[in-house]
Amino acid sequence: MHKAMISFALDDDQRLLQDTVRRFCREVLREQMRRHEQQGGLLPEVEQAFAELGLIDLELDEGLPHRTAALVHEELAWGDPGAAVALWTPHLCAGALRELGTPEQQARLLARLRRGPDQRYGRGAVAYAEGGPGQGATVAVPTRGGYVLSGTKRFVLHAPQAELTIVFAQLDGGCQGMGAFAIAGRPAADPQGSFRLGQRHELLGLRAAPAGELVLQEHLVPEEDRLRGGDDFCAAARRVFARAQLLTAARQVGLARAAYELALSYTQDRRAFGKPVAHFQAVAFALAEVHMEVESARWLLWQAAAEADAGRLDLALCAGAAAHACEAAFCAADWCVQLLGGAGFMEDFPAEKWLREAKALALVGGTPQLYEQIVAAQVLGQDPEGNPEGAGLPSPRLQPFLT
Amino acid sequence: MIDFSLSPQQQIVREVAHQIAQTVLRPGSLQWDQQHRIPDEVLLQLSMLRGGFTQGEVPEEVGGEGEGVGAVPDRRHRSQANRIAVLGAEELAWGDASVLLSLPGPGLGGPPVRSMGTPEQRRRFFSVFQQPGLHYGAYALTEPGAGSDVAGIQTRCRKQGRYYLLSGRKCYITNGARADWVVVFATVDPALGRAGHRAFVVERGTPGFSVGKIERKMGLRASETAELIFEEARVPEENLLGGEEYYRGKEGFVGAMQTFDSTRPMVAAVGLGIARAAWEAARDFVRDHYLLSRPLPRYAQLAAQLAQDRRLLDAARLLCWRAAWMADEGLPNSKEASMAKAYAARVALRICAHAVDILGAHGLQTSQLVEKWYRDIKVFDIFEGTGQIQRIVISRRILREPPSF
Repeated sequence: MHKAMISFALDDDQRLLQDTVRRFCREVLREQMRRHEQQGGLLPEVEQAFAELGLIDLELDEGLPHRTAALVHEELAWGDPGAAVALWTPHLCAGALRELGTPEQQARLLARLRRGPDQRYGRGAVAYAEGGPGQGATVAVPTRGGYVLSGTKRFVLHAPQAELTIVFAQLDGGCQGMGAFAIAGRPAADPQGSFRLGQRHELLGLRAAPAGELVLQEHLVPEEDRLRGGDDFCAAARRVFARAQLLTAARQVGLARAAYELALSYTQDRRAFGKPVAHFQAVAFALAEVHMEVESARWLLWQAAAEADAGRLDLALCAGAAAHACEAAFCAADWCVQLLGGAGFMEDFPAEKWLREAKALALVGGTPQLYEQIVAAQVLGQDPEGNPEGAGLPSPRLQPFLT
Repeated sequence: MIDFSLSPQQQIVREVAHQIAQTVLRPGSLQWDQQHRIPDEVLLQLSMLRGGFTQGEVPEEVGGEGEGVGAVPDRRHRSQANRIAVLGAEELAWGDASVLLSLPGPGLGGPPVRSMGTPEQRRRFFSVFQQPGLHYGAYALTEPGAGSDVAGIQTRCRKQGRYYLLSGRKCYITNGARADWVVVFATVDPALGRAGHRAFVVERGTPGFSVGKIERKMGLRASETAELIFEEARVPEENLLGGEEYYRGKEGFVGAMQTFDSTRPMVAAVGLGIARAAWEAARDFVRDHYLLSRPLPRYAQLAAQLAQDRRLLDAARLLCWRAAWMADEGLPNSKEASMAKAYAARVALRICAHAVDILGAHGLQTSQLVEKWYRDIKVFDIFEGTGQIQRIVISRRILREPPSF
């Protein structure tokens, strides 16, 4: 029996897993970083090599424990933040199905994300944001045997290859009026399809993971594919997003650590005025500052993850961890470019990529502003925007972000 | 196992410390600050409770409660002392930080006696804390001409017969005037730099040792800060910590520095306690005053700031816990201790300033604790190594070859 105790120690399994993923990142992801970015997708052999680690099966079978996930995603993003997003084929779907779906739905729909005959895993997508110019909300109208969905969803990661998409749509006003619907099968490329791909987004970063719009035109979803989220849909949906924030936090910590390490080694090799530039206080203090941000972000993430593993998923801790990690990542990546000077601006080093991707990751699953609102709502016992539903579940139409 | 829940013992310490902070320290805090002292009866009362959460500042061998802050556990012998200490410190400081600095006991003098002293010295100097009444140890390193630059201390020691004669001045010494003994760092020859340092325990009443002025300060006013004067003070040779054979190289300097590995996380936790108190006051003020009376956009900005500050407070606390956990595990933690101190000080200063901003003129009235916390917190980026010194420690430890800046 485990004794409660403040502890930062990894257990043996975690250490082994961390080493394994780290090796994969160093030998594979780092090597193919630019290629993945340029071609906007992963090399099949890289997907294959990652599949061999068996982590996706663990996620689909019972869900990776939050602390384990924190370690894994930190490492993957250290390797390459874009590939880290692209490699994680279940995306948020496994967790979302567990929160929102019945056991029957989970069993049936999770199968969509498992390895197919081609040995590749099915990809999951979550369609949330909407509200392009002149566009209304995505609505779900009850009909005999199901719901008819219409609207355009934007900023959907993995949209082009999704085998399973969880679409949020408005049944009625407000948070409780929102519903989630599972759509199995790829969106059609055909412009006449009722569930089809819209415009593909060109992203600032994370280009290895394609993102695009999804258009729903009177698309029928059977009743059995509505995800009702148990007794309290809003609370369940908030938990889905809280997990998305832990994922973002882990990736940002990994990116931040990568940027910090590059800045640390580069400034010790680069000499100016007769000594390594790291030996000037202005540079050394910046490195110290970045190191503190990276470490503190990791511990906040671990704390939120440990609470979640203990059955106490805390929305404010998750949001706080994500906000802090976004800040740390931006700080680390910005300093990395700065300390590398002109070299940091060139594509010869990954610094410029990390700086772009730190910004991009800060828009996956929420925004730092939203995270602060979630914390504020808990701190003050009230949603600062005056939303009677309480903060934590953002409106799909305000301040849209990638999901 | 990565875990941040408290053990039953840690939980109790936190609760008891919070109770004391709430019922004893907070109510007296403003008055003690104005009087620049804490009544002896309060300190006596607290000294009886102290053992529980400073967990054996006094070693077991002299009747204390076991290994404590500054003890160096080996890898097999795990301790909780440092974690307990930071948990207790945050809570007590939430009540009043000056009281925490004024708690009877060896204070900062404890760690060097524990790590450098011979068994005989440890017994002799710690036994005083087993006697009734208020007893203090103190730690004297800083001089008028040497603060951050520890290697530059000028206080001289010279052997004469069975005594050392100490000459010089030490300043800003916490509990310096009322201490039963003070660990004093002196040099056999300033030209030797760090290799010249020696650590002595100078007892009250030593001929040639006197107390100079008691400082008046911006904050932490109820805590005593004294100047100590040594005019050929006659210190018996058996009070040289570790004995002469102990000093082969830079042991004196290293001993002085080692103290900080265990005390910096503590000091960071004290700063966090103050900042948390200020943050809570700001939060309550916003909740009570803004919610109904101000337009929402302004309110949203304040809410976001409170949220941000809370997250920074949590981040700083985890850096403290990390450093304390490493100390308990017997892992070298100088870098982490400095990170905890540097980060907590920065965050705490910012939060206290925000609290004053948010309360506006209410926060500046001297009847308000927020004003006091704002004054109290500044020194946390100065004592036990300034923020700049912490950054030097951190950067030297992350670079392959330590630079000489």
